[in-house]
Amino acid sequence: MNCEVCQLKELEVEHFQIREVLRCILHTILFHRALGLVKPKDIDLELFDITYVQCGDVELERKIEEKIDLFIDRVEKHPNKKNQICLSFYEVKNRQATWFTNKVERLYWEQWYINLYVVQHPKPQHGKSHHSKILVDPGESMSEERTARRAALESSLREILFHIIKFVNEKKDHVPPIPNLDGISFPYEITISSSSDSAFGMDMLKRMLQTGHPTMLS
Amino acid sequence: MASYHGSSHPEPAKMEQIITEIFPKSLHIILESRCPYVSSRNYSGEQGFSSPSPSSSSSSSSSVRPRDKWFNLALKDCPAALENIDFWRQSNYDPMVVDVVLVKRSSDWDPSICSPRKVELGKNFPGKDNFLWNSEHDEFEGGVKKEKIIERWIVQYEGRKTNSNAGSPVGKKSSSTSSSTVYKKSILLLRSLYVMVKLLPAYRLFRDLMSSAQIRMYNLCHRIHSFVEPFTRREEAEMQKFVFTPVDTSCGRLCLSVMYRPSVSDVSSEPSTPLSPQFIPDYVGSPLADRLKRFPSVPVPQSSPSYPYGRRHSWSYDVYQPSPSSGIPSPSPTYSESCATISQSRTKCLPPPYVVQQAADETPQLYEKNTGFHEYWPSPTFSPSPSPPTHIPSSPLSKVLLRSESAPHSQLVCKLSGIPSPPLRFVRPNSYKLDGRSGLLQTSSAAAKLSPYEKDEGGKSPRAKISSTSSPQRSFSRSPGRLSFHDDYDEFSGPFVVDDDEVTDLGSRPGSSDLQERHSCMEEPGGVFPHKKSQDAAVGALICMLKKAPPLGVDIADSVHTSQTSKSEASRNFKDPNQTAAMSGKQSARSLTSSRLLPSKTTAAALEELREFSKMKSEIMKQGKRGM
Repeated sequence: MNCEVCQLKELEVEHFQIREVLRCILHTILFHRALGLVKPKDIDLELFDITYVQCGDVELERKIEEKIDLFIDRVEKHPNKKNQICLSFYEVKNRQATWFTNKVERLYWEQWYINLYVVQHPKPQHGKSHHSKILVDPGESMSEERTARRAALESSLREILFHIIKFVNEKKDHVPPIPNLDGISFPYEITISSSSDSAFGMDMLKRMLQTGHPTMLS
Repeated sequence: MASYHGSSHPEPAKMEQIITEIFPKSLHIILESRCPYVSSRNYSGEQGFSSPSPSSSSSSSSSVRPRDKWFNLALKDCPAALENIDFWRQSNYDPMVVDVVLVKRSSDWDPSICSPRKVELGKNFPGKDNFLWNSEHDEFEGGVKKEKIIERWIVQYEGRKTNSNAGSPVGKKSSSTSSSTVYKKSILLLRSLYVMVKLLPAYRLFRDLMSSAQIRMYNLCHRIHSFVEPFTRREEAEMQKFVFTPVDTSCGRLCLSVMYRPSVSDVSSEPSTPLSPQFIPDYVGSPLADRLKRFPSVPVPQSSPSYPYGRRHSWSYDVYQPSPSSGIPSPSPTYSESCATISQSRTKCLPPPYVVQQAADETPQLYEKNTGFHEYWPSPTFSPSPSPPTHIPSSPLSKVLLRSESAPHSQLVCKLSGIPSPPLRFVRPNSYKLDGRSGLLQTSSAAAKLSPYEKDEGGKSPRAKISSTSSPQRSFSRSPGRLSFHDDYDEFSGPFVVDDDEVTDLGSRPGSSDLQERHSCMEEPGGVFPHKKSQDAAVGALICMLKKAPPLGVDIADSVHTSQTSKSEASRNFKDPNQTAAMSGKQSARSLTSSRLLPSKTTAAALEELREFSKMKSEIMKQGKRGM
């Protein structure tokens, strides 16, 4: 079975934005993959003027929060690294019990990579000195910068949501038949990886993203 | 396949059901987030069966509403969608075009009309026996409205025969068109539709309509057609399109697309989102704020730290700020005080009770008039040089005055002007009159005291602020001022309007109660008001006053009664020992004319007055000697 991979554009976020950005992306993907009966819940982001949709599943929400906590933890331990969070969907196949193995095999059919680059922006009082006007009016120009960054991130985030919608629309054949009526119809897992060591891989991904094609590996 | 109910049906029937159901479901999804009647946001999770759809074609019955079971998506009730659902069940091969329309009210809005509620514009349905489509009402009738289609959703089933030119690889694999696959893909399609509906800019408008208690200047409504009304080329250029990937079925494909305006903020007159803290820096950097920043550099003596500044209209006072300092050379607390009341009363825009009483018919116009007044003033932003304020206010002010002069109320107030009650005198038109007088008076060096009026009475009415703010007009050219006040003087003191000298007379005349009251008004604050007049001028004024003092003597009553401005009577005045200076016949005639207005006095009173005059005279003489 094909495993569709979707690499989402890297987002440059500040520490305090991590949680909302991840929530928004993860829930949006999961809403598209929760093909059982769901009662959607619309959530307005606090930091951005964006509304996203949750499945309204408490268990799912809890699990996502857990993973976000883990992610933030890792970011704090390894600052200045590009961090990746991967959401995978799989099917469970009971492999025929062989001599030693009686294990459950996971057949991944879709993986979403969310790339976050957590930046450490200096506080206004120790403003970057590369702008001469900072010296004149540090507070104002810093807040202007901040506003601009926030707006840029908001539009990037919106772009990512559009990307998710497009991906979901274009790739439908690989989605397995709906196994049950539960809201969260497919098993999934969320993994976190720090990809700073694999600079080559990131470069590859970047190049792929720049060409505009959705990355697909099989 | 467990999720697909009705699996006992044969394949084509299932397919048809799916196609049939996708229309109402997508309509429901769209309207739920575009039609501001039902909130989709305060979703409690408990859905009542308040309006079950009896004609649902779903055969299954369970605890979950059949409507929700379709495509495994539980939606909230949306009457607007439910009303239309059955129609689409019957005619599934017609395209369904949902236009989301932004209706914008013009300025003459009525709160009751703008309240966020569902508005469904009636629409005739050609080709459907003129089926009237929720011709509920046009709630915006009677007002000027601007409509703009901000979104157009098109749900369409393209049958195999019609899509020959579509070139889509339909039915490549038989598995991909099985009813279960189509159903799954439909679910996916509707999921992404659901997310998309929340992502487009129109949702923000909807959200604001739903969330805020304020009355908005716009509303959202929708129109449902079975055909596409083509956009103009320009409209089309403004819109972006998103085409959902069609769902292929065994005999055609389901298409869903949306055209939307990427930005609706320019369409809606107000910010579509509450201002977030991030916007405040921009706000501070705005021209308005710049004005505030620039302000301290203006050399204003009375710019106390507590200088009150109406945020919104502050610019209009700025005009006056430099002028008192330059026009009146002394830092007068009077001005800052009156400015304080100005900004207060302007921001509040509440006329005091007596104004309401007096000018009840005029009160509704108060605000507008004030605005007009504001608008009239040239914004100092556009006059970059701190040029003498003489010229800035002059012409607009005279226009304003002329305009207000024509108000029917001014006449009444003018007649009331003799009453010494301060508030009455400061009803707006009257205040103009006073300004006019002061404007004229200040030209005569003797009586350049006008600010006492503001000091005494300023700030008691929103009109008073006009008088106080316009007092710097002392520097404006006199001719327009006189022109504009001419009528007033004709009304209440016609004889005095002829010449400047006569106006001086009017001020210095210690006779009538009216004049006396004014006189005291002018006189008393002489010490308070630190404006320095030249000694000579003062002496001259006093001499002039003495010259024109009413005649004394036993025959005063006669003079009053028989004063037909005869020269003989005038000459009799010369006999008075105190009238040392020679007086022209003209002057005496004038004095008689004025004395005619006076009530007759007793001799004792006259003597008392005489004593006062001589005392004043000696004082003045002393001062004059010292000055020499």
